Amino acid sequence: MVRLQGLTKRFPGGGGVEGVELEVAEGEILVLLGASGSGKSTLLNLVAGLIAPDRGRVYLAGKDVTEAPPERRNVAYVFQDLGLWPHLTALDHLLLVMPKPNRKEALALLERVGLKDHAVKRPHELSGGQRQRVALARALARRPRVLLLDEPYSALDPVLREGLRLEVRTLLKEAGITALHVTHDPEEAMLLADRIGVMSGGRLLQVGASEEVYAHPNSLESFLAFGRANLLPLGAEVLAFRQEWVRGEGELEAVVLERRSLRGESLCRVRLPFGEAWVRLEGRPGERVRLGIDPLLRFPASELPKRSP
Amino acid sequence: MSLLRSLALLVLTLPPTLPLLVLIPRGFPHLLPPRDLDVVLHTGMLAMGGTLMALGLGLTLAYLAVRGGAGLIWESLLLLNYLVPPFVTGMGILFSLQVLGVKAYGVLGILMAWTLHYTPLAYLLLKPQVEGALPLLQTARVHGVMGLRRLRAFLPPLFPPLLVAGGTLYLALLGNFGVPAVLGLPERVYTLPTLVYARLTNPLAQDPLGEAATLGLWLGLLALPALLLSRPTLLEAKTPLLEKPHLSLRFLFALYVLGSLGLSLLGLLREALFNPFTGRLDPVFAQALALPLFRQGLLHSLLLSLLATGLLLSLALLLKPFPQALRVARGALDLTYLMPGTLLGIGLILLLAPTSLYGTPWLLLLAYLLHFAALALRSLEAGMRVEGAVLAGRVHGLPFWRSWLRLGYPLLLPSLFASGFLLFPLAFAEVTLSALLYAPGSETVGVTVLSALNGGLYREAAALGLILAGVAALGLLGRPRW
Repeated sequence: MVRLQGLTKRFPGGGGVEGVELEVAEGEILVLLGASGSGKSTLLNLVAGLIAPDRGRVYLAGKDVTEAPPERRNVAYVFQDLGLWPHLTALDHLLLVMPKPNRKEALALLERVGLKDHAVKRPHELSGGQRQRVALARALARRPRVLLLDEPYSALDPVLREGLRLEVRTLLKEAGITALHVTHDPEEAMLLADRIGVMSGGRLLQVGASEEVYAHPNSLESFLAFGRANLLPLGAEVLAFRQEWVRGEGELEAVVLERRSLRGESLCRVRLPFGEAWVRLEGRPGERVRLGIDPLLRFPASELPKRSP
Repeated sequence: MSLLRSLALLVLTLPPTLPLLVLIPRGFPHLLPPRDLDVVLHTGMLAMGGTLMALGLGLTLAYLAVRGGAGLIWESLLLLNYLVPPFVTGMGILFSLQVLGVKAYGVLGILMAWTLHYTPLAYLLLKPQVEGALPLLQTARVHGVMGLRRLRAFLPPLFPPLLVAGGTLYLALLGNFGVPAVLGLPERVYTLPTLVYARLTNPLAQDPLGEAATLGLWLGLLALPALLLSRPTLLEAKTPLLEKPHLSLRFLFALYVLGSLGLSLLGLLREALFNPFTGRLDPVFAQALALPLFRQGLLHSLLLSLLATGLLLSLALLLKPFPQALRVARGALDLTYLMPGTLLGIGLILLLAPTSLYGTPWLLLLAYLLHFAALALRSLEAGMRVEGAVLAGRVHGLPFWRSWLRLGYPLLLPSLFASGFLLFPLAFAEVTLSALLYAPGSETVGVTVLSALNGGLYREAAALGLILAGVAALGLLGRPRW
């Protein structure tokens, strides 16, 4: 459904994307994961036609739309700030973008996203979560080939965010919509994605099934994108493992230095033979334990980031 | 850049700047030796003095407003001082001080009127900056920095905005014609704009246009440093973590507002309402409105300002969907707005005197369009950011113009109204350009008020001044939210 071929966009002040190759299948939800400034939003804007690439092509449903204006691409976009129109009601948002405006259909769609009783309210009369739903309903009303979502939950409180993102995934799957979703939150990426694309410095580092990219990152940067990371430099190499890859039995001797609790899980800072790390472990400060780490990844030390993330 | 685009840029930028460019060949040969150096220096020093006074007061008022929580009403009343035409403020001071037996003519009167008139502008420019800088003061306090040392955290970040505001005020004062015309001309205290007027209307002058062009160039040279001032990054206004508003500071703010308004308007009211010989209530509004010259001026000004406002807003709306063209046009038109109006007036005379346009109200309309266009474009440029909403529409399938008609323009309506309410009173009471460009039969209301004043019809002039102040108050309806 979406094919990006050697897509490059450089901005005068730095940033952009470089030679991105990507294919997204029909009905698939692909999440682009990366830190701020990694080029995720630029990529969405290129697909939407809000900016023009320096090089490369954008294909939607097999058609080259690189030169097409945004209105001719048949995409929909849930912007980070939602981009709602302050002078229009929720219902008007939908009617305006529908290819054939139909009040009954629009109301049904609003009901589907839980806004049946708020159809004639304007954005300022709605709560954050309700505004989010209007943005989503507007996107669905367009009946897009591709839905673009740019960190749509970043302004919501954690409780609302957790509920809404699963709801949205269900809606997208029910409607069979292809979606490109951008986030810097690894948990959100894992939860929503059929596949994840990891981005850094404008490059698409790795694309694959969520668990695959999580467990088998192809680079240190890709490994770091998911957080919960321990990096221990050892000569020309860096040993890398996630907190939850540690078992309370194995060959490695360790001393528990500190214990914290997070959502009922115990997190310990331990001293290992090759450095200190935070691991998921039951233990008391001062206790000597034996640990196993699986997998224990090794990357060249040259891949270490130059400054702290 | 393609040839076509360069040509388009030239078409957008050249015509508005042409009236200023024609001054150079005409005025340059007489620039040296400087014949009117005393007036040049005098004008520069007066403008500088007025700027410093308005800046000082504006900064103080901004501090009082932010710390004292000045409300909407008091701020609106302060703004009224700026919306009233400057020459009406000059007349107000003249009549108010007369009551106290003080003659307001001359340098001190001019400085006083300028300060009173332009302090609200300084306030408007500086208040967001003070709001941005106050958290720095709070941070210093939290970290135990007390007393005068706290000012080291507060004042230096304000210097760049002060410089920018100072440049804007200096340009406004330099080009002001109305106040020196009311308070300077009767005592033969000239500034460059009034000297230009005097030379142009002097029947004995050998080459009035050449002399005016030379004076115009001097005015341009005086304005140049302020125009070249770079625009440093202004402070980002954050919601300051302030303590409860200080009532005493609010009181001081209100006191200034009442005092300044009183000084501008009480004298006018007394002059217009009471007979100076009998001391009895004897309003003169009806007689003033019956003056044929004034009725004609009123009609001209009304039509001209409505037409100019309508045309400028239409132009701004038309250019709004094309940000680059809007930016280029505004850049060129900024020059005709920021440069003293006298320069534009002389330039238009030089450029159009040989044509049939000269001596008609259409010349005034052209002058108004050129002078106020930057304001209209700026108000929509700086208005609510609608590009995002339009793009959102286009992404969701709406064609370019439909997206602007359904989403962009409706969102621009508040800015459009605000701009209209600002432009109309300014054009209605304009006097700098009108005094230079009017021809008998095409007088504007500002010119007729000055004529009434010069003809000894003080009471009628005061009454007309009050009517103009009333129209100016319309601008408050389109007041931006601070």
